[in-house]
Formats: sequence, structure tokens, C-alpha cells
Amino acid sequence: MTKEELAAYITENFDGKLKPLDSGRYDPLFEVEADDLLDVARALKEDENLRFDYLCNLCGVDTKEHFEVVYNVASVSKNLRLDFKLILPHDNAEVESVQEIWPAANWYEREMWELYGINVLNHDNLTRFLLPDDWDQGHPLRKDWDAPDFVRLPEGE
Amino acid sequence: MGLIKKVPLFTEKIPGGGLVLTTLETVLHQAQAKSLWYLLFGTACCAIELMCTGASRFDFDRLGMIFRATPRQADLIIVAGTITKKMAPRLRRLYDQMAEPRYVIAMGGCTISGGPFYYDSYAVEKGIDHIVPVDIYIPGCPPRPESLLEGCIHLQEKIKKQKLSDWQEK
Amino acid sequence: MMAELRTEEFIVNMGPHHPATHGVCRLMLTMNGEKIVKIEPVIGYLHRAIEKICENRTYAQCIPILDRFEYVTSMSCNYVFSLAAERLAEIEVPERAEYLRVIMLELNRIASHLLFYGVTAMDIGAYTPFLYGLRERELIIDLFEMTCGQRLTYNYIRVGGVSKDIPKQFVPQCRKAIKIIGEKLTDYTGLLNENPIWLERTKGIAVLPADLAIAYGVSGPVLRASGVQYDIRRNDPYCIYDRFDFEIPVRPNGDCFDRYMLRIDEIRQSIRILSQALDGLPEGEIRHKKVKDATFKPPAGEAYARIENSRGEMGIYLVSDGSKKPLRVKTRGGSYNQLQVLPQYGTDMLIADLVANFATLDVIMPEVDR
Repeated sequence: MTKEELAAYITENFDGKLKPLDSGRYDPLFEVEADDLLDVARALKEDENLRFDYLCNLCGVDTKEHFEVVYNVASVSKNLRLDFKLILPHDNAEVESVQEIWPAANWYEREMWELYGINVLNHDNLTRFLLPDDWDQGHPLRKDWDAPDFVRLPEGE
Repeated sequence: MGLIKKVPLFTEKIPGGGLVLTTLETVLHQAQAKSLWYLLFGTACCAIELMCTGASRFDFDRLGMIFRATPRQADLIIVAGTITKKMAPRLRRLYDQMAEPRYVIAMGGCTISGGPFYYDSYAVEKGIDHIVPVDIYIPGCPPRPESLLEGCIHLQEKIKKQKLSDWQEK
Repeated sequence: MMAELRTEEFIVNMGPHHPATHGVCRLMLTMNGEKIVKIEPVIGYLHRAIEKICENRTYAQCIPILDRFEYVTSMSCNYVFSLAAERLAEIEVPERAEYLRVIMLELNRIASHLLFYGVTAMDIGAYTPFLYGLRERELIIDLFEMTCGQRLTYNYIRVGGVSKDIPKQFVPQCRKAIKIIGEKLTDYTGLLNENPIWLERTKGIAVLPADLAIAYGVSGPVLRASGVQYDIRRNDPYCIYDRFDFEIPVRPNGDCFDRYMLRIDEIRQSIRILSQALDGLPEGEIRHKKVKDATFKPPAGEAYARIENSRGEMGIYLVSDGSKKPLRVKTRGGSYNQLQVLPQYGTDMLIADLVANFATLDVIMPEVDR
């Protein structure tokens, strides 16, 4: 399938749960609601024409207005690529874990929780990961984070 | 090699053989400087250049330096690579486990002052000299193997200039 | 009457500092005697906050920072970021630049696999291959130094092309270097492949099943050594790889020996690609005319670029808001997934087998910690 055929197939068969977005510049990009996440993920993996069984990437993004959780998936047998994302508010952001469907998501979600503070439900191990054990300065990758010994590159450099 | 050529000059012939007079400091310094065994401590990019310096083209063994994996058998630690806040206590612990006299070479920009990670990084220690006392700083990102060899030769010169009474203070 | 022998499980810490080949990875092993029951990797000892740094740098300033993301194949790091930025801005790169990029990427792949060969053999106990592998790697490093002045972190492949043209003696010296490496490969395999100690330590050890590998997102030589034919240069093509004639080696067993031999096969295929690229190198520009380092501003949008690195899939997810600094740079490395799958299949074996297993996975810690 080409990218256009893939986008058309998804729009037909997922009855509106995956809404196309136009900010994706290379692969088809869709938006999904938080409640539909697990159904959509399972359907993407089990559909015979798609078989998205390989999770390339899962990350959080902090645009200054809201959080996004982005999933990049691929299909090993059918050579397809797809991206989809969720949009969450800044306060009390939480998302379901997809580690039952793509076991690779375990560490990605743990890192996202640690660096952004997005809570992941039904995850088996949300503990300290990349930061030192006695870290108490919050979630560093947020845009509004600061700390006393954090030196920013001066403007104009 | 230079030392062995000079020994016949200083030998005094006595019945039954010869006698060489020297100071204890000279003997100890030559022994120490010419066979520094270094602890393999490489965290990041400088570790690859450290390995290349120990390999075929630039050889460490010609300076008498071979690598040891345990701090108990090493007398030099070449800190190669960025030290993060999580790793800093482990570096101090390794340094404490080395037997005296012990020396530290800070290799690369990251160990001198944080390197390219000085600005905007929340997890990097900006230089290691507040964790362990450093003898030689080698700048570069990463330093060439020739720079590292020159740094080791400077360390050998430094060792030869030490006095016996300095050992107690290290 | 014999009393029951009481055994307990105990925890052995393979601490962050072990003979500095793989960097700083800590494995907490729960052991029952000599057999491993559970492995728990503890990471973060090299977390340098590369993603936070890149959010406060212009696109050209990100490239030397991303060099340190995976320093053994730093050309690939430069390239994947440039590819993501070019996909966002929808610009075409000139022909000569694409050929130069392929030449540099494949040379870097060979250098990385030679380092793997040396370091893996040293971990398993053989010291001579280390000296052989690094001696041939110096030939390739000389070529890089001739082009861009650096031995390890190149900052060469930029957005829109490459930064400098190659000097005149590059092509003949490159041909000579790959001829020497091709001949020495028989020495390398001859030293190890018939050796009974090597075969005892690597054949049949630590088999990774293919479905477990795909489920955990493992890619690159580790996936192909388990029998899955998936190479991003063929399955999701980028750059001009579709013009070259090369094979994708695949091995069926998924044990340590296959993972090691597959990388030797990949060196041979890279030499094939290099000969074709050197023959077909055209004249022309080396950088897109409209892209200037100081003022590059792609339009708002997001793109994910993925390439086949010597450790697996390397990807960058780039989000731009139209300004001259990226909004989000998420780096994805192959070693992250390989370390994640290690506890799933690496248990129920002896510690010496864990060392061989970990060595053939070819994990580099900055890809895991960033």
C-alpha cells in the first residue's frame, strides 16, 4: 500500500476514532482520543491488511499549551508506517499503558512519566529510571522547568 | 631505556663487582613513572579514543602503561567521558579504593568543565575537580591519542619532580 | 540420611564500572548458584539531557550535540537529524551530496563493526582480535580525518547536504582501504571460527526468538540474526540506497555466533555498496543552495526519520513550530530496545554466557541514556 492508500484505508475502517491531521510531513498522522486508545491500538495490530506489530517510538511532547503523547508504529511484514497521537491537558495528564499490545512500550512510558510527569495507568514499574535516585526537582523536560544550577545558553550565542 | 645506558657511567668498580650510588627518591620515581598502570574508566566518547590509544597504532604499552580492570591494582585513573550526577559518587568510591600514591588525569572537555554539556543540561557534573583531585587536564573533544600520550608523559615528568615527603599529603 | 541442601538466591551487582567496553551499564542479577534467575538493568549513569539541550539550539548547533548521541557511528546521527529536518522543510539534496553521504555512512558502518569485532572478542577472552580490528579501523579513521578533520565526532553531514567536499586523494585511498579490509576479513574469521573455545562459548548460547524480538522493537543485526529479513534500507528506503545492488544477510539461529557472523557478512555487503558508490560519484554541488546554517527555519510540522544504523533502527522525531530552534527532538536508538529485551530471554544461563550475550548485542550506553 502507498501512503495515500494507507490513509484512505484507515479513514474508512476505523469509524472516526482516528482523525487525520495535516501537520505530519512525511508519514500519515492521526489523532486519537484517550478513551479509544487501547481499542485502536489493538485493531491496528490485529487487522490482517495492516499488522502494525512493531513500535518504533513513543514519546511525550510539551507544546506550551498542552502535552501530546506520540506513537510511531511500523509493520514488519507489510512495510507500512503510521504515526498517531493523543492530546492531553497540562494538569493531571494521564494515559493508558499499551504494553499489553506492544511490550516495547514499557521503558518508553516509564521514561515519559519520569521526564514529563504524564501518569501512565496499569504500568507495572513506574520508578526512577534515568535521573539520580535522590532527584527531587520535578520533571525536567517540561518547558516551564527550572532549577538553581541549571545554566541556559545565553541568547545570541 | 635512558636509565640503563647511564648505569655504567655511575658504576664504581669494587673487588667482586660494581657499586651504584643513588638516592632512594630517584629509584622510586623511575619505578613509578615508567610503569603506571591505569584503571579503565571510560564512560563516553573519550573512552573510544582511550581504547584506540591502547591499541595497535598508538600504543600505551611502550610507556609501560597497561590497563587494569580493578582499582586495587591501578595507580592512575584516566577519567574519560562525561560524569553525570548519578555517576559521581561511584567515581569517588573508585578513587578511594585505589592505593596511594595515585594520580588522576582528566581527559576531555567534559571532565574539565562540563564540555559541550555545560549549558542546558540538568544532569551533568560540570567538571570533576570537585570530586577527585586532578593532576593533569587534557583538553579536546575528544582529545587525539597523541594529546593523551603527551599528557601521560607530562604526568611522568610531574612524578619525577615529587619529593618523598609529598607522598604523605596525597 | 542426607540432609536437604538449602540454597538461597542472592543478588550480584554487575556495577556501572566494569571493563570499560560497553560504557556504564549496571545489571542487578539475582542468582541461584551460578545460574541467573532475573536480570534488572539500571540505567541513567550517562544521562546527559541531550534532548533538553537540543531544544535551546538552532538546527545547525544541534548537529554537534547529536554527534555525541551515538559516538561510534556519529555520521548516522548527523544524517538522521538532517533527514528529519529535510522531510519537514521538503527540500531536495543534490546528487553529489547524496553519494558522499552514502560513502560516509557505509564507511562508518564498517568502522563500527570492526570495533564490535575487537571488543566482543576481548570480552570473551581473546585479546588479539582487538588489536587487529582497531588496526583496520584506523585506515577508515584516516579517511574521515582527511575529509572533516575529526576522528570520532564528525559534524559533517548537515541539513541540505554535506559541509565540505572530499580532497583528491580520498577516492584512491578509500579504494585501497576497503581492498585491505576485504582481504583481512578472512584472517579475522580464520582466527575465531574454527576455534573450539570460541564455538563452545558462542554457538547455541542465548537464542533470541524472532517474535520476542519484534514485540520488543529490536532491530538491526540482532533482529536479522534471528531470521527476520527487515532492513530499513530496503523496507523503508531513504537516501539513494535503491540504486545500489547489495544483499541483506540473514541468519536463522539467533544465538551469539550468528549475531557475530552476521556483522562480518554486513562488512562484506558494505564494501560492495562502497565500490559502487565510488564508481558512480558525480560532480556537482555539495549543499542545497537555499539552506544556510544560521537562518534555517523549517515550517511548522512534525516528522519521524528512521535509518538503518549498525546497532539497529536509529530514529529522530522532530517537531518544529516554525522558529529557528526545534520544539522537540526525540532520539531513538537501537540499543534501548536491545537492553529492554535482555531480561526476557537472557535468564537461566551462567554469568559467563551473559557476558558473551551482552557483548554480541552490541549495546552502546549513550543510545540508551541519551
